[in-house]
Amino acid sequence: MTLVDTAPDPAHRARRALRAPGVRMGGLALLVAAVACAGLFAGRGVTPEGVRAVLLGVGDDPTAEHIVLQLRLPRMLVALVAGACLGVAGLVLQSALRNPLAGPEVTGVTPGAVLGAVTATGLGLAGWESPTAVVVAACVGGFAGAGLLWLLAGRDRGDPEQTAVYGVLVSAVLAGLTAVVLLVAPGELGSVVQWLIGSTEGRVWQHWNLLWPWAAFWGAAAWLLAGPLTLLRCGDEQAAAAGLATGRGRGAALVCAVALTAGAVSAVGALGFVGLLVPHLALAVFGADLRVTLPGAALLGAAVVCGADTVAQLLSPLLATAFDADRLTLPVGALTTCVGAGLLMVVARRRADER
Amino acid sequence: MTSATPKTPEVVRAEDLAFGYPGRPVLRGVDLSIRTGELVALIGLNGCGKSTFLKLAAGLLTPSGGRVLLDGDDVARLSRRTAARRVALLHQSAPSVPGLTVRQLVRQGRYATRGPLGMLREGDDEVTSRALADVGVTAWADRPVDALSGGERQRVRLAMALAQDAPVLFLDEPTTYLDLRHQLEVLQTVVRLRAERRLTVVMVLHDLNHAARFADRIVALREGRVAADGPPAEVVNRRLLAEVLGVDGRVGIDDEGGWPVCYPDHPLDPLRLLRNENHIH
Repeated sequence: MTLVDTAPDPAHRARRALRAPGVRMGGLALLVAAVACAGLFAGRGVTPEGVRAVLLGVGDDPTAEHIVLQLRLPRMLVALVAGACLGVAGLVLQSALRNPLAGPEVTGVTPGAVLGAVTATGLGLAGWESPTAVVVAACVGGFAGAGLLWLLAGRDRGDPEQTAVYGVLVSAVLAGLTAVVLLVAPGELGSVVQWLIGSTEGRVWQHWNLLWPWAAFWGAAAWLLAGPLTLLRCGDEQAAAAGLATGRGRGAALVCAVALTAGAVSAVGALGFVGLLVPHLALAVFGADLRVTLPGAALLGAAVVCGADTVAQLLSPLLATAFDADRLTLPVGALTTCVGAGLLMVVARRRADER
Repeated sequence: MTSATPKTPEVVRAEDLAFGYPGRPVLRGVDLSIRTGELVALIGLNGCGKSTFLKLAAGLLTPSGGRVLLDGDDVARLSRRTAARRVALLHQSAPSVPGLTVRQLVRQGRYATRGPLGMLREGDDEVTSRALADVGVTAWADRPVDALSGGERQRVRLAMALAQDAPVLFLDEPTTYLDLRHQLEVLQTVVRLRAERRLTVVMVLHDLNHAARFADRIVALREGRVAADGPPAEVVNRRLLAEVLGVDGRVGIDDEGGWPVCYPDHPLDPLRLLRNENHIH
């Protein structure tokens, strides 16, 4: 600690400027834009020149135009918004539960949402042609999954590790139920598998039109809870002493988190580890003031999911050649799960070191 | 003692206050009245109900019997926000919050006064800065709380409670885990702010010598009841040591300050304590 403040030299000032949240947010926004562009260029069927021609409006190839504007563009936008939803949902959950190991995937929210979507589809209540019903079913499932964890964890709710263990248990049970539904009603198996792994294949404007207002509404609601959530991170006792009705604040936050997750799941399925790991990244980049970090988590989630989708599309042809299966496509969920599992180990190790 | 004249209105009033968990009563009917500007030390053995009393009086627990009036209103009926504007409570310990800077943590104390959408209001930043200066941590404002030592962290948490800008301050063992130097720093800060802001302070202390030196009034709890209540010079004696704190010891007078000083010698047989049912007043 220095008692005398020395005049900041230019280099120091430049470093300070880099640390300003606005600068970081701007940089991240540029990254998201870059990733989104890359997403438009990646994939089969159209050459990069063809994409550029379509985007500049000078192309005369109707197939290329259809692929870029009707397939790739909505797919990229859906990936961005779904990633943003998962990033925010994860940060809200981790803050509300004061549990760095929480995330929609491991608190029963995502598996519950998948079960809801699969069941609704299996019962013929919903399908790709009726996305609203899928969102509703995913929401109901998400709340049920989170509620199940709440009941099971009982008195261990305050203990991050115990809650994580129960979360794995709940997720396994819900995944088992999903499998049962698949066995009983295998009608739309093809599309259902996409929910299980998480995929952005075949997302069209209809999905986008449904997803963005939902994400905007619940994202704004989550941001308005930034104050209470920051306080909840300080512990219930301190939060209550500072004037927060902790039960009500936590309840509102959980509703936001489940709604955001359900929206993402109904659009792209269960993308593994995004909601669990993006918050750690966001906190590391933007610090603990959630008024800044929540939007940061949205941008990071968007960049991660869209980036993973792009990478998956670039890897798919290589894998297809390697396995001699030319129709093979790598779902983005498979990629986020593999990368996420590795990152989770890093987080868990660091957490163990801290204690 | 000089600032607390009997005529000042009471700011906290506990009436037959009771609280307990199934099979384990903690408070068994506490009547206590605290006047504006008083500095009260709560003493007693572990588990005698000191922390519980503070939490009840701040409205953080619901009593199983009796009530607490805060400025004349039943605290259990106040909203969390209103209660937090009237009384700030510094808990015994708090979990660490990775990444939060000192200023960000202290600013959390402003929560109760924020606008409907959680926006900071005009003056909030000034109150935050004043709270940082009050405990002398302005120089670390942008450092992460996690990087501070225990004593430094305690001062920061005190600043967070001060940022609530409430007229009543409850401190639950503010000096526990601190070395002697930091203990004195925290206590002297409290004494100074109480004089400057005319705060009413109730603090749980384990060190009877600190209580005797810094408080106007000592309230001793024993098994959920008030066992002694009065100015240090009247209350601190061998009987208090024996019957409330369970130790045999001697009590003298500080040569320079004139306050009582205790020299605890050895713990008393717990059986003798239990048999001794009459309370001292």
